[in-house]
Amino acid sequence: MFDVIEPALFAMLTIAIVAAGAGVVLANRITTSALLMAFTFLSVAGMFLLLGAETVAMFQVLIYVGAITVLILYGVMFTPQSPRLYGLFFQTQKWWAALFVIPIAAFVAAAAFAFRDSATIGAKGGDLMPLATSVFRDYAFPFEVASVLLLAAMVGAIVLVKRDED
Amino acid sequence: MTVPLGWFIAVSAVLFFIGTAGVLVRRNAVVILMSVELMLNATNLALVAFSRRYSSIDERGSVFVVFIFVVAAAEVAVGLAIVLSAYRNKPTVDVDEIRQLKG
Repeated sequence: MFDVIEPALFAMLTIAIVAAGAGVVLANRITTSALLMAFTFLSVAGMFLLLGAETVAMFQVLIYVGAITVLILYGVMFTPQSPRLYGLFFQTQKWWAALFVIPIAAFVAAAAFAFRDSATIGAKGGDLMPLATSVFRDYAFPFEVASVLLLAAMVGAIVLVKRDED
Repeated sequence: MTVPLGWFIAVSAVLFFIGTAGVLVRRNAVVILMSVELMLNATNLALVAFSRRYSSIDERGSVFVVFIFVVAAAEVAVGLAIVLSAYRNKPTVDVDEIRQLKG
C-alpha cells in the first residue's frame, strides 16, 4: 500500500508547486501572487518531507512561509500596484528568442534524458544529525560568517528605509 | 516504490524556469523579488534531492540549503529596503520607470 502513497503525494505536490508557481507569475493582483508564493513554499516543504529531510522542511516553513512571506506582504502593503502588468509579454524579437532558446532547451532535455539514477536508496533516519554535524564541525566558520551577513543585512535594511529626521 | 531522483530534479527545473520567466516578464519590483525567491527554492529542492539520495556518500547539500536560507532572508530584506527607498524617491515600483542610476 505504501508503494502507491509516495508517488501519489509526489504528483499532488508537483501539481501544487507548478500551478501555484505559475500563478505567482501570472496573477493580476500582487497580493494573490504573494499568497500563492507562500503556498508554493509550503508545497516545496512537502517535497522536502517526501525526501526525508524533516529539518530542512521545518526551516522552510519557519523562514520562507513565516518570515519571507511576511516581509514580501509588507512590501506589497507599502507599494502601489503598477497599472501595467506584463511589460514584456509581446515582444517583436520572437525569432531571435527562439534561436537562443531552442539550443538551450535541447541541451537541457538531452542532459535530463541521459540522466540515470545511480543513487542508492536514500538515507535512513532523519537529517538532523548529519546536518548538525556538518554545520557545527565542517562549516562552523561559514556559519559564523552567515550570522555576520544577517546582521549586516538587518542594519543595512534599517539604514536604507529610515527617514532622515533633520 | 520510491520516486526516482530525476523527477525531483525535473520539478526543480520547472520551478526555476517559472521563476526566471517571472523575473523577465513582470515589471513590478516586488513580484520580481518573489520570482527570485521561487528560483532559490528550486535550487534548494535540487540540492536536498541530491543530498538525500546520495547521503551514503555525504550529506552536505542540506548544509548549503541552510546557507541559501540565510542569504535569501538577507536578500529579501535588503531588496525590499531598496525598493521602498526607490519608491520614496519616485513613486513607482515599475522597474522600467526606475532609472535614476542611468547616466
